[in-house]
Amino acid sequence: MAQQQETLRREDETEDTLDEALRDGARIEELPSDDSDDDFEDVDEDFTGPPFPGKHLLKQNDLDLPPWLKPETFALFHDDLTTTTSEAQVKVTADCLPLLTGKERLNGLRYNKYGIPHLNREKHVAFLKDWLEPLPAPYVVIDASRPWVFYWTIGGLSFLEQDVSVYKQRLMETVRPLQNPYGGFGGGHGQYSHLAGTYACILALAAAGGLEAVDRKGLWHWLGQMKQSDGGFTMSKGAEEDIRGAYCAMTAISLLNLPLDLPPDAPARKAGLNTFTDRLGEWVGRCQTYEGGIAGAPTNEAHGAYAFCALACLSIIDAPHISIPKYLDVQALLSWLSGIQTTPEGGFAGRANKLVDACYSHWVGSCWALIQAALRIGKTQDLWSREGLIRYLLCCAQQQGKKGGMRDKPSARPDAYHTLYSLSGLSAAQNHYSYDYHGPSQDGENGRLTAAFNWSAEGPSEAELAAWKIEQEDVVIPIHPVFVLPLDVIERTKQQFQKGGL
Amino acid sequence: MGKYSEDPAWADIVPLPTDEGGPNPLAAIAYSDEYGEAMSYLRAVMASNEFSPRVLELTDDLIDMNPAHYTVWLYRAQCIFELKYPLEDELAWLNETALAHQKNYQIWHHRNTIVDKLGKWQGEAEFVEQMFELDAKNYHVWSHRQWLVKRFGLWEEGELEFTERMLEKDVRNNSAWNHRWYIVNGREAEGVRGVTHEGIRMREIEFARKAIAKAPQNASPWSYLRGIVRKSGMPLASLKELVLQYADTSKPDGVKSSHALDLLADVLAEGADGKQQASEALDLLSTKYDPIRKNYWEYRKGLLGGGSSASTATAA
Repeated sequence: MAQQQETLRREDETEDTLDEALRDGARIEELPSDDSDDDFEDVDEDFTGPPFPGKHLLKQNDLDLPPWLKPETFALFHDDLTTTTSEAQVKVTADCLPLLTGKERLNGLRYNKYGIPHLNREKHVAFLKDWLEPLPAPYVVIDASRPWVFYWTIGGLSFLEQDVSVYKQRLMETVRPLQNPYGGFGGGHGQYSHLAGTYACILALAAAGGLEAVDRKGLWHWLGQMKQSDGGFTMSKGAEEDIRGAYCAMTAISLLNLPLDLPPDAPARKAGLNTFTDRLGEWVGRCQTYEGGIAGAPTNEAHGAYAFCALACLSIIDAPHISIPKYLDVQALLSWLSGIQTTPEGGFAGRANKLVDACYSHWVGSCWALIQAALRIGKTQDLWSREGLIRYLLCCAQQQGKKGGMRDKPSARPDAYHTLYSLSGLSAAQNHYSYDYHGPSQDGENGRLTAAFNWSAEGPSEAELAAWKIEQEDVVIPIHPVFVLPLDVIERTKQQFQKGGL
Repeated sequence: MGKYSEDPAWADIVPLPTDEGGPNPLAAIAYSDEYGEAMSYLRAVMASNEFSPRVLELTDDLIDMNPAHYTVWLYRAQCIFELKYPLEDELAWLNETALAHQKNYQIWHHRNTIVDKLGKWQGEAEFVEQMFELDAKNYHVWSHRQWLVKRFGLWEEGELEFTERMLEKDVRNNSAWNHRWYIVNGREAEGVRGVTHEGIRMREIEFARKAIAKAPQNASPWSYLRGIVRKSGMPLASLKELVLQYADTSKPDGVKSSHALDLLADVLAEGADGKQQASEALDLLSTKYDPIRKNYWEYRKGLLGGGSSASTATAA
């Protein structure tokens, strides 16, 4: 019952996120942990920075604040009407503003010369490693979502440049009972294959270098069962059809170079479909709403996580400048994406009039590379505020104290989900991605979808670092804008399955 | 010894213990013995495709311990149908479970499956409204509500009034705005016109206008207006008066909403010789009223030179 009350209490703060696990992740944040991580009195012993670093600069910092953090800006509009939405927003702004302006500091973090906390790398590494060890009993609620934990931890560690090949053997053993004889991975031993679990297992295995564990032929057959006659995919047999399915399935097909033709026994064949991509772009297009954003399924509400799934899915089936404008109203989407960067916090909300949440740093933050490529905008022009997101992530999303990890917002506890997606968002904000418009969209010999392999990235310039008020050590390596793994992992995977066939 | 292994009713089942894959599994969950045992019995009954009252009880037990267990939910649904279990009883059980675990994909999918089979919607709308008391923006609940409307043709059964009630409580509830859009425009394929019909369009613009008057810096009704413009292809000029009410750049405190100024830029751009004025409106957003989106406003300015305005292009 205590758990239930905690859950209900947090509803107004807890954003909807990609997967059932993620929803439960919010609940996990409230569960008692076996070690208390918020003992601020303990913090001093591992405090490595100079005492009150930068405090003498605070006055100067005030002058240095970006315009959206200056009182004259955020005091411009003040609607008198108070509602549930505005009350929640006021509370979050009050939590974030002192951290963003340097009036309050995160205990135990080192601050840079601009008065912004450094990325707490060592602690985040330790936090993610902790999640790979046995999890206490209350985590039973993610028993159907354990593959996500493999991805959040091993993926996150790879973003932090750790050698994750050390997990290869253990990971391959751990996922073996999750893979079903009929293909695909379930959340655990004896569980039905599910597209979320399959996606997460594949990405974790790719990071650790263990993709040979995947039964590609079985996977191809099972994916054929998920394909629907309207073009979309269900998450599991008899389960809901939504845009996560489309993205997860196409990721598996492209990364593992599975045949594009539907298996002979795929039910969608009866409706006249022949390939996995038939009617897919159209189905994704139907998920765009009157707001311009993308819903999980046609007519639902526009949502940031689904915007990423849509753009990434379209960027797999063809080059982004071809497929995205073909199926979506790009200007309407752009206006919507731009609108959910919250001010004054600087991070992203998942929907209009919802609260900032660090996980959308990825779900929305990673849309920008895709949409800039769709519009063929070069790296000299930006469409969004990188500085705003970077500042939110470093100042508000890092857990203080000694445990590390990243969190939705200052009032939430860190978890592996928010850590990985915060790091991905930070990378999206810090790096520049270029798409090779002349790169092949399909491999002639095998028919493999190769559009998503034409990305390259480059890090920020010194001038940009200074403008964003960060230092080189705070920069996360480039993360692939479609597959959400380091670029070299994607290149290696591409090579590994060059041959195709089954 | 456990609940199932000691129960004579389960004596014929040989449980299938969890295969951890290896000696040192990653992120192994130290779940309770009760959960481990129940799962081992579930694997066993699933292996033999058993559908029986005792299996229903087992799924109940497991859902109670782990409501996000999609396999258990899907198997339970199969079991309900195989047994011809009374669907009303299943709904009653679901009502309690939903209140305890409302943020959960499975529970709403299951509810959807049961109600669909039952073919009766009585009580559903009330239940859903009760769920909104807990969280008025729950994505699954709204999605379920849409499905109910479509499945049972409830378009004109007080649904528009329902969105009014929800927006009366919180005019910033974007989910309620989305639902309103759906109710108004969701039957286009069946030939029932929404905002492409002038009378309905006028009514909806009026609805948005009243909402804007309550709280001008509320993105939802402005997006709603933009949606109407895109869908109907109406001239933007007809919104000029409304927009100027909240974005009068000629007065010192004339801008009451950045969203109004955003729309003003498009209204101006559409007019003859309006590019310069539109550009000035975007400059105001960029430098004063909405600086976090500076790069986006600059991009919009760049589009002005190309002729067509940015975000009012007709939807694909």
